[in-house]
Formats: sequence, structure tokens, C-alpha cells
Amino acid sequence: MHARALARLGRWAARKRAFVVLLAGAAMGVAALSVFGTTMIYTSTEPFCATSCHEMANNSNLEFIGSVHDRNRTGVRATCVDCHVPHAPIPLYIAKMGALNDLWSHHVSKTVDTKEKFEAQRQKMAQRVWTYMKGNDSRECRHCHNAANMDPERQSTWAQLRHERARREKLTCIDCHFGITHAVPEGGPGPQELEVDRSLIPRSAIF
Amino acid sequence: MMKILRTIGAWAALRWRKVRGWGAGPGSLAVLLAGMGLGAVAFASVGSFMVYANSEAFCANSCHEMTQLQKEHKGSAHDANRSGVRATCNDCHVPHEYVPNYLAKLGLFADYWGHFVTGSIATPEKFEARRYLLARRVWTYMKETDSRECRHCHTTSKMDPDKQSEKAIRRHEKARAAGLTCIECHFAITHKEPEGPGPQELFSKEPLKQVAR
Repeated sequence: MHARALARLGRWAARKRAFVVLLAGAAMGVAALSVFGTTMIYTSTEPFCATSCHEMANNSNLEFIGSVHDRNRTGVRATCVDCHVPHAPIPLYIAKMGALNDLWSHHVSKTVDTKEKFEAQRQKMAQRVWTYMKGNDSRECRHCHNAANMDPERQSTWAQLRHERARREKLTCIDCHFGITHAVPEGGPGPQELEVDRSLIPRSAIF
Repeated sequence: MMKILRTIGAWAALRWRKVRGWGAGPGSLAVLLAGMGLGAVAFASVGSFMVYANSEAFCANSCHEMTQLQKEHKGSAHDANRSGVRATCNDCHVPHEYVPNYLAKLGLFADYWGHFVTGSIATPEKFEARRYLLARRVWTYMKETDSRECRHCHTTSKMDPDKQSEKAIRRHEKARAAGLTCIECHFAITHKEPEGPGPQELFSKEPLKQVAR
């Protein structure tokens, strides 16, 4: 019975070969895209991003633990990717390519593989992130923090005054909110002193 | 018009015979690749639709029934707050895992039915008349899942009691002892509170299974 059914299926498939091949291709396409998507999601999780390599686990993640983006009143968190990776699909895929640089640094050039080397590079790495955030008007901050939906009445007077001033001076989030998670590098300029092409920052986007 | 359609039809039939021919020969690789492309595009479309269906543009603003609820959401703690971190419709009301998410999206058909056929909540008056029933349905769902959607954002183990009020610390302690879940106290924080027993009374009086869905 089964053999006959299989034989019939085989004959049908032989007649509709192009169709069968097309279907097989479609299934492969779906599978490939699923694998790709799942990889993107997995590489965005803390088990991969925060704790699967020495550089992140022994430095960045230790600093993150207990910070306001890890532990707070409401238990609503922001993890690595929320602040450090774009959220739109294509920029995200491009950013993930940056992992190749991490692999290179870890296995070949070994630039941040010890605590001492990491500290020595801290200023440079922090400046790189600050420049990136200034350049896109703290886009990743704003993915969660909607300036338009901030309720000034629930903020301190101090915060209200400072935000007012930031609006006036066309500052972006990272100009003031730096070193809130990771250690502030010693010496060197802070984000406000860094020169970045401000024309990149749309005026309307600042608060 | 018909002539154009017939011409296109004839052209497609000719093409298809050719493609069928390829399937047998070395052209089958091209067919396979075309299939992969089609599959990827179809799958990406499903994914994009899922993302779009979760957006406020679709979920909160595209039908009369929901715009009503959207008005209640506006200005609530999950819309405007100190830090500007928001939770929108799907954050609280749709599962975040894939398969449960897809299943939940099928619930859309119930909404179509309710909108086009029965019209059960078509006017604000009808909506108010059914508010308690609707609220109870959501409370029951949240109780059953131990407020899973709340916990998707609010990680209990990452709450810092030192930053909470005395009262909140005490209440959370009590909730832990009594085996309560988020929704039993934090109800009607976004949408209007309906008349009738709240979730705690509801679930303490009768076993969960007997609370009508």
C-alpha cells in the first residue's frame, strides 16, 4: 500500500518536476532565512553577547551588572544590543559584521585580551562609541527613550532644567549621559568636548 | 482588457512549459534558486507583517474599536513617564514567542467577525456594556500565564527594592507570600476600570477554571 502510494507520488513528482524543485527551493529559502534570523536573535542575547567571550565577560559585562540599565525600580532592562547595535534590519546586519573585527582582535591581534590591555584601550573605545552616538543623535538611546513621551512632571527639577539647556545647546543624550554603565576612562575629553559633525544631527530630532 | 489578460495568460503558459522543461534538465538549479528566492521573500513578508501588525500604527489606530482603547492608553504610565520608555498594545496583550505570537495573530479573525458581523462593540455604548466581560477575559489570561507579558519587560529578579517605595516593598512581599501574580494588583493601570469584582476577588472566590473566558 505504502509502496504503491510512494510510487504514485514519485510518478507525480516526475511529471511535475519543475514544480517540486520550486517547492524544495522555497522550503530551503524559508529554512535559510530562519537560520539567519535566529542567529541574529541569538547573537543579540546576553548569553552570547555579554558572556561568551573574555573581553566582554570580564570587563563590559561586569561593569553593566548593577547599573541602572540592569537593575532598577521596575525591572525593565536594556542589555548590550539595546544601546550598542542599530535596531533597523539592514544596519543591524551590517553591525553584526563587526563581529569579524572582534574575532580578529581576539584571535590575531589580541588588543584587549587582558584587563590591563583593556584599560589601556578604554579611552579610545569609549571615544569611538561616543562619536558614533553623537553622529546618529543617540539613535539607540531613543529607540527606548521617547523624548516626546517623557513626562517632565515626573522628572526632578534638576533634570528638567538640564534637558531644557540641552535642547537650547543642541546636545544629544550621550553628551551628558555617558559613563552610566561602563567605567569612565581617565583623562581625555568627554563626549561634549569631542568634535563631531553636528550637521548630521537633525535639529528637530533633539527633544 | 480580456484580450490583454488572455495574452498574458498565453505568455505565462508558454513560460511555464519552458520552466517545466528546465526542471528536468540543468535548468533545475535556476528553478531551485528561484524557489529559494520566493520562499525567502514570502517568509520575510510574513515576518514583516508580524512586525507591522505589532506597531501602534496598525494595532492602535487602524480600527474604531481600538482607537477607543488607544485614548485610554494615552497619558498612562505605559505611554508617558519619567524616562520615556513605553509599552504599546502588543507588549502587554500578545505573546512574544513566535508560535504563540502567530496563533494570537489569528485572533484577528475574531476581531473581524466582531467588527463586520456581530458588531458587538461597534459603538462606545456597546463597548462600555461589554467592558467587564472583556476585562475579565484579559485578567484570566494573565492570571493563567502568571502575567507572562508583564514579565517580558519587568524582570522581577532585576527589581531593586531600594529604589521602590516602602509600600511597594511590603506589597510585593505580601504578593509573593500569597502567590499573587502582577495583574491581581496592577489592573486597570492603562484602561478604565470596569464595574464589578476585580481580579483578586474573582480568583480568590472561585477556582480559575470556573471563571468564564
